Amino acid sequence: MTATGLRVAIAEDSAILRDGLVQLLVDRGFTITGAVGDPAALRSSVAQHAPDVAVIDIRMPPTFTDEGLRLALELRDRHHGLGILLFSQYVETRYAADLLADDAAGIGYLLKDRVADVSDFVDALERVAVGGTALDPEVVMQLMGATRRSDSLTVLTAREREVLSLMAEGRSNAAIASALVISEGAVEKHVANIFAKLDLPVSQNDHRRVLAVLRFLES
Amino acid sequence: MTADQVEGNGVRVRLGGREMSLAISDEQAVRLRALVDRVAREPFTKRVWAELAYFVVGGALTAVGLAFVAWTMVAGIVLAITFVGLAVLVLSLRSARGLGGLFRRMARSWLGEPVADPEPFASRPGFLGWLQSGLRDRVAWRSVAYLPLRAAWTFLGVFVALSLWWDAFACLLHPITNHDGSGLGVWGLPAAIFGGDHLNQPFGLVHGLAVFLLGVVFFFAAPWVTRGFVNVDRLLVRSLLGPDPVQVRVRQLEQTRTRTVDASAATLRRIERDLHDGTQAQLVALAMRLGMAKEKLEDPEHVDVEQVRALVDEAHRGAKEAIAELRDIARGIHPPALDVGLEGALATLAARSAVPTDLSISLDTRPTPAIEAIAYFCVAELLANVAQHAQASRASVSCSQQGTWLRLVVRDDGIGGAEPTMVGSSSSGLAGLTDRVKGVDGRLHLVSPVGGPTVVTVDLPLSA
Repeated sequence: MTATGLRVAIAEDSAILRDGLVQLLVDRGFTITGAVGDPAALRSSVAQHAPDVAVIDIRMPPTFTDEGLRLALELRDRHHGLGILLFSQYVETRYAADLLADDAAGIGYLLKDRVADVSDFVDALERVAVGGTALDPEVVMQLMGATRRSDSLTVLTAREREVLSLMAEGRSNAAIASALVISEGAVEKHVANIFAKLDLPVSQNDHRRVLAVLRFLES
Repeated sequence: MTADQVEGNGVRVRLGGREMSLAISDEQAVRLRALVDRVAREPFTKRVWAELAYFVVGGALTAVGLAFVAWTMVAGIVLAITFVGLAVLVLSLRSARGLGGLFRRMARSWLGEPVADPEPFASRPGFLGWLQSGLRDRVAWRSVAYLPLRAAWTFLGVFVALSLWWDAFACLLHPITNHDGSGLGVWGLPAAIFGGDHLNQPFGLVHGLAVFLLGVVFFFAAPWVTRGFVNVDRLLVRSLLGPDPVQVRVRQLEQTRTRTVDASAATLRRIERDLHDGTQAQLVALAMRLGMAKEKLEDPEHVDVEQVRALVDEAHRGAKEAIAELRDIARGIHPPALDVGLEGALATLAARSAVPTDLSISLDTRPTPAIEAIAYFCVAELLANVAQHAQASRASVSCSQQGTWLRLVVRDDGIGGAEPTMVGSSSSGLAGLTDRVKGVDGRLHLVSPVGGPTVVTVDLPLSA
């Protein structure tokens, strides 16, 4: 299908899933620089092949807890410009907070289930590879549900809340427009309203916008 | 009476006109010699003097302690109409507890009596709380009970045991101390039995020798009499100064409960891991393949039928594998075979085992479901171990009832050398089984010499 030519490294300890991911990404025109089952192997693979983006499972050997998360933080510090898509069976809001602590550029955090919708998944991966953000709708929902700012959220209209969620996921205005089947101009108007109502600093940059929204929800 | 023949250890004796033999066997002779040896050495052992010191020093302390506790208690009760009286009473109880601790430590270090410490005193907050906890302190009240009992027993011991030591030395030393006929100064029960006045007579040679011999007898008897008294005191220390049996049982139950809770948490974690690593990954891959196939079908003009067929084929296989995995996991949580009873469930296990397995079951009473489940998992795990590690050609499982207990014996003719820590996989291994079995007060026993055979015996109560 589309040949993006992006180079991807994969760390996933389940062989079934790893093989499936390779098959899917190759089918979509990605180049796989390495498909490995543990953190150490990914570390050397990334150092050797310098991929555009790494897909990392959170639970990996040896302890099957948060190896992937720690590896992601380490790789982000060491390889600037490397996109990182964390991939997990569950989403933990705390993990998202750790990941997005100071920057949301080139960071993704998705439920594994999302691969079932192949185009959405590939879209998210491409976004992360070029320095964007992809946050799972589940994480955004948890953040919106847990926020102590729910009072402020009530000033938003239903449509504006939808736009806010999609913004938090890291989508661009164009993507939001097509997801909600409205014009880009309408999206821009909603975004401006949201920023004004919540008293947020306006930003043109997508991932700065994500950070601003997340800070708001977390505070 | 004449002893006319000595043969080996036998003595033939003619008494009047009748002849009788006092034959003793070799074994009896050995025992007799050991006994004589023991009695001869006993007064010179460290243990005897430690016991004597314990008796004397502990006795004196008991008298002082009893006097103090009794006085303060009386004072406390007299003043009990005011808070001051109650406070005095509690202070008295607290000191009784302290004295109990002192006697316990003495018994431990001087007698080597392994008595554990009771629960420490735990006061509720506030002065009233302190009063209430102090008055209800079972450990303290038991220490109070100990004091008069020991005092009475010591009082008796002074006349029976301590006097024996005194009299022994008096008799042994009388050639020196009594040469002027001033008397021996014997007293107490031994003196009363052997006529103290008589012993104090001015002596001739025969009388003097008799007194000396009596001293020898006293000297060798004294350690045993003292020990008798000390042993009764040990009993008092154990039952009154040791941990409250009720609290000991409570603590024991708390420990088993902790182990059981830990074991079930480990089981839940294992199930979560099985689901996460196996079934969930399987289903994600399946959904992904179907997603790919769906997208490929979206453009009807350019459908690569072979590609789509391959994807659907893989998805189909994945779905079947996921179903099989789910079935295995569900069986690990509760084996459906158990619904019809242990007998059928074990028969299924034996039939499924990779190593040919004989099964014999004789149960009159059906165990409770929890016990049946534990028995089932024990047999399942042990047979899996046989298949994995033992290199056995045959195995056998027997399940029998012994009173109110269920006994499982799993045996194989393999290479042996199994160790509790090494066998099995993580939480479901032998260590995990042991915890599960202990959780219902059962026992697991492993015999596995290198070269085999391996026999594992599990005893479980029929109901838990």
